[in-house]
Amino acid sequence: MIPLQPGEKALCSRCDSILAQGSRLGTHATLVFSLTTLALAIPAMTLPFVSAGKFGEERVSLLFTGVASLWNNGMRAVAVLVFLLGGLLPILLAALLATVEINRRLRRTWVGSDYAFRLARSLEPWAIPEVQVLAVFVALIKLGSLVTVTIGLGCWCYCAMTVSLLISQRSFGFDAPGLLAANHEPEHGLSS
Amino acid sequence: MKPGSVASLVRWRLRSTSTAAALAVTAGILLVPANLLPVLTTETPGRYRTDTIFSGTVELWRHGLWAIALIVFVASLLIPFLKLAGLGWLLWQTRHGPPRDPRPLTRIYATLDFIGRWSMLDVFLAAFLTGLVQFGGLSTVVARGGIVAFSAAVVLTVLATRAFDPRILWQANPPATP
Repeated sequence: MIPLQPGEKALCSRCDSILAQGSRLGTHATLVFSLTTLALAIPAMTLPFVSAGKFGEERVSLLFTGVASLWNNGMRAVAVLVFLLGGLLPILLAALLATVEINRRLRRTWVGSDYAFRLARSLEPWAIPEVQVLAVFVALIKLGSLVTVTIGLGCWCYCAMTVSLLISQRSFGFDAPGLLAANHEPEHGLSS
Repeated sequence: MKPGSVASLVRWRLRSTSTAAALAVTAGILLVPANLLPVLTTETPGRYRTDTIFSGTVELWRHGLWAIALIVFVASLLIPFLKLAGLGWLLWQTRHGPPRDPRPLTRIYATLDFIGRWSMLDVFLAAFLTGLVQFGGLSTVVARGGIVAFSAAVVLTVLATRAFDPRILWQANPPATP
């Protein structure tokens, strides 16, 4: 196994698509940014997200106030979907990436790490906080002409959490499970 | 390679294309109610309107918010149809086994895989507006049935793209380099 240096790419000899890419930010990027994502998730969910007001009345909403309204309006499937794609799955993905990376660092052979890797890979297309960020900004521009809108700290934390998760995902070699095999090789030595 | 693994490869391949096709067709059917049914009802004093995805986009455009009208148009109207068309093209090209030139098709697949998530924009938008715009009874925004059909259609297109395995495009082609 040949570990990729930062910025190095492994290409498929048939279709030239990128199989794996060494993170430009170095080998610690995935762990650092997945832990950052987890830390930022707490204020993102609990601090005021956006406040909107007109004629002196103000309404402060949290990230998932909309999900609660959808649920109360009887659109439970959509509410669950939005909660999963924008909240739970991004956090779960960050936790799984952190688990895999920590185990890789401890050089620990643990079957749970393999399951975490596989689960992370199958969850990856469903963790889409970046789409929610775009939706929030579209909504704020749309409402800006009608009411006074103030962006809260929770919203900024959510944006930062999204960027952090994206960096963490990009630095992680999802398509190269072979890189993970290094976990199981201490007794045989590295074959490169 | 063990004989057993060849057999399981073939069976898995059949399941992959037919599953992708079935999911894509279902998504295509669901896109009809998704675009015809209203997705959002907005109520402000003296104004009550019910929007479909398309009329909502037109409304944004008419208010001079052309940049976000364009974003919503691309994410909610263009991408779902492009995705189904692209997937249909891939399935059509592989109906008699691997295509002659799989390289551009692999590129198409990678593109489809990337753009798919952005069509969830309208679902997040409806959810966010529903929660935010309820200040003092001055106005309300309520999500309507169209958004259920739309989110189901988008989830199915993502599942269809995942079910289609791009390795099908390369089967039985000799490797380019030894």
